[in-house]
Amino acid sequence: MSKKIFVLLFILVSASVSVYAFTKTASSEPVLVQSGEEKHWCPVCGMNLKMFYKTNHTSKTEDAKHRQYCSIRCLVVDMKKQNIPTESVEVVDAKTEKLIPAHKAFYVVGSKVKGTMSKVSKLAFASKEDALEFIKKHQGKLVDFTTVLKLAQDSLVFDTSMIAKKKKKKIYPMGKKIFYKMCDTHINLAEYKEINELKSALKNDNLCRPLKEKQLQATALYLWEVKRLGDLGDITGKISVQKDEKCPVCGMFTYKYPKWVAQIFYEDAGEQKHYSFDGVKDLMKFYFNPKEWSNDKVTTKKDISKILVTDYYSQVAIDATKAYYVVGSDIYGPMGDELIPFIDEEDAKTFYMDHKGTKVIKFKDITPEEIYKLDE
Amino acid sequence: MSSKINIYLIKYAINSILRQKYKTFFIVTIFTFLVFLLTSIFFITNSIRYELDSTVDALPQIIVQKIKAGRHYDIDVDKVDEILELSGVSDAVARVWGYYYFENAGVNFSVVGIDKYENQYKNSLQSIVNKFDFEESSDEPFMVVGQGVKEVMNSSYFKEYFNFIKPDGTLKKVNIRGVFDSDTQLESNDMIVMSNETIREIFDIDETKATDIVVKVANPQEVSMVASKIKLMLPDSRIITTQDLKISYQNIFDYKSGVFLALFIVSLFTFFIIIYDKSSGLSSEEKREIGILKAIGWRVDDVLKEKFYESFIISFFSYMLGSTLTFAYVYIFQAPVLREIFVGYSQLKTTFELPFIFDLQTLFLVFFISVPVYVAATIIPSWKVATLEADEVIR
Repeated sequence: MSKKIFVLLFILVSASVSVYAFTKTASSEPVLVQSGEEKHWCPVCGMNLKMFYKTNHTSKTEDAKHRQYCSIRCLVVDMKKQNIPTESVEVVDAKTEKLIPAHKAFYVVGSKVKGTMSKVSKLAFASKEDALEFIKKHQGKLVDFTTVLKLAQDSLVFDTSMIAKKKKKKIYPMGKKIFYKMCDTHINLAEYKEINELKSALKNDNLCRPLKEKQLQATALYLWEVKRLGDLGDITGKISVQKDEKCPVCGMFTYKYPKWVAQIFYEDAGEQKHYSFDGVKDLMKFYFNPKEWSNDKVTTKKDISKILVTDYYSQVAIDATKAYYVVGSDIYGPMGDELIPFIDEEDAKTFYMDHKGTKVIKFKDITPEEIYKLDE
Repeated sequence: MSSKINIYLIKYAINSILRQKYKTFFIVTIFTFLVFLLTSIFFITNSIRYELDSTVDALPQIIVQKIKAGRHYDIDVDKVDEILELSGVSDAVARVWGYYYFENAGVNFSVVGIDKYENQYKNSLQSIVNKFDFEESSDEPFMVVGQGVKEVMNSSYFKEYFNFIKPDGTLKKVNIRGVFDSDTQLESNDMIVMSNETIREIFDIDETKATDIVVKVANPQEVSMVASKIKLMLPDSRIITTQDLKISYQNIFDYKSGVFLALFIVSLFTFFIIIYDKSSGLSSEEKREIGILKAIGWRVDDVLKEKFYESFIISFFSYMLGSTLTFAYVYIFQAPVLREIFVGYSQLKTTFELPFIFDLQTLFLVFFISVPVYVAATIIPSWKVATLEADEVIR
């Protein structure tokens, strides 16, 4: 009797352990098909292949080069860049951890296991039984490779924007800090063809002091995606206004409303000067009819050299002509109804939904009638 | 018009005040008490408001805690990624912190973990990271401690390092790298700062877990929207925003301000009754005095000047006495009784000092509702009497 209970307990315990114990990390030495020291990392995103081994995919390009990706998302990205025959794609069996041809694999999509670089996880199994057993434990749906590939392609934009947000808010600033503290800053980024080569160089050629995998990844991403492109996406900071600057349209002091401040720049005898406004609405009134509000230096739109507005979400200065504006929301500026500026169209749409906006418009579509209608 | 102050008139006024000892004493007492009460109320409310605002402002905008079975539970670090996806969130940091009970001394240390490369959620932590280079010799774990912690450790002969007892009973040796200065403005000196890896080892917290998540929102107007989105996303969480805290503090505060308002109205009412009583007529003795003064040759404006000096001296003296007492009462003795009205209940159990704020506005306000009113209440009836013929008054 007691033996039976023990057996039962043992089964229960081992079952519950296996439910929680699913990790994507390789349980033994993973099979790495790429060559050189860079073989440990994904050539597309730079992530450690061993850590996400159970979602790994490999491919063979037309010039017979082996490539290994952290997930199907990176495979899809790579497929867009170069010609990869679908038959050459192989995938790691999540159960046996061996490489199997992808078109023969049984995929489980949408289980409780988190996806790699994607909201939805996609795990492959060589045998249907293994896949079904997995579904029993972790839920999900059984599909074939073609469907999975299509799914990954369709969600690519969404997944990329999801990752981009995280990178911008968290990883790039962290990578930048690490790079300037721990690494040789004279690194020539043009030498590296792919991010995994850079990563391998950072780690093995003593370009950086010893880093943990997470820190190494942050540094590599910062160098590869920000520094290499010349820090273009760098945040320019907030608009700064002096205490004595008044809005030329409404006459209010602008420094009191840092959340809304906007500026129009113009050239005056070679010097850059500006007007400050306490909101996009007043700025647009000025923009449509500079003569009415300005001194004689700015008489037409052509005299204006640059327009800056404050992004509602991030509160940094953005180029007004590239921004998206939400009209009719329940958020009021210092002068009442406002056009709320966003640099990111998706942000603008989110705001539009959250705050009951009536529409999202681009800079060039704004009309004087629309502006004056806001005051009614 | 002779702008010169007539010394003799002032002398006469002072003598007159001293002559009527009991009356003067009574007025000064009432007046001083009134000023004292009014200024205390304003001073205390201002100080508490200031204290609350600065405390709340120093907190992170949103704190996300996981609640399991009604209790605070470790949260998944992955949730940070989900929170970062929200529009309006500029940063999210998974915090690892906790209390370590040091049995030898019977004290609790608050142990806070930091990641040197992350954006710090508090200025005080940033200054620690800047000051103590957290990456040199990172092979040996180390910590930076508050003054109080340092003293406790010293008294237990832990001068260079400290042995933490891990949950499994083994020891973890952590070197003491330094002590925070007072200028880092850390809230408490029972704090220990160390790297996230070390604190995880000491408290046995898994790398995928954290104590809570703090969220930074660039635009303060969006905090409540972001908070509600996080709540939708993580239904098992408790979201604490600084705005919530401010509102709940404000509610308690407003409620209790009502008590003060009642006090305020009562004391003002008393004051104006006295004033009304005074201005409704002079006693026959006072009338006679004015009559005699006129009979011996004083002009009306001399009488009024004298009355002005007299009332001004009394009221100004009382005012100064009252406000000095208030300063002593509120800022030196920390307002023993009145303060309890605010901090007596459990909602605001934090102990704090009333910070000194020199509130000129309040002082002026109280001055103008007391001194000129009293002066006018003295001069107007005197003027009525003084304009009458002397014989009429004396008769």
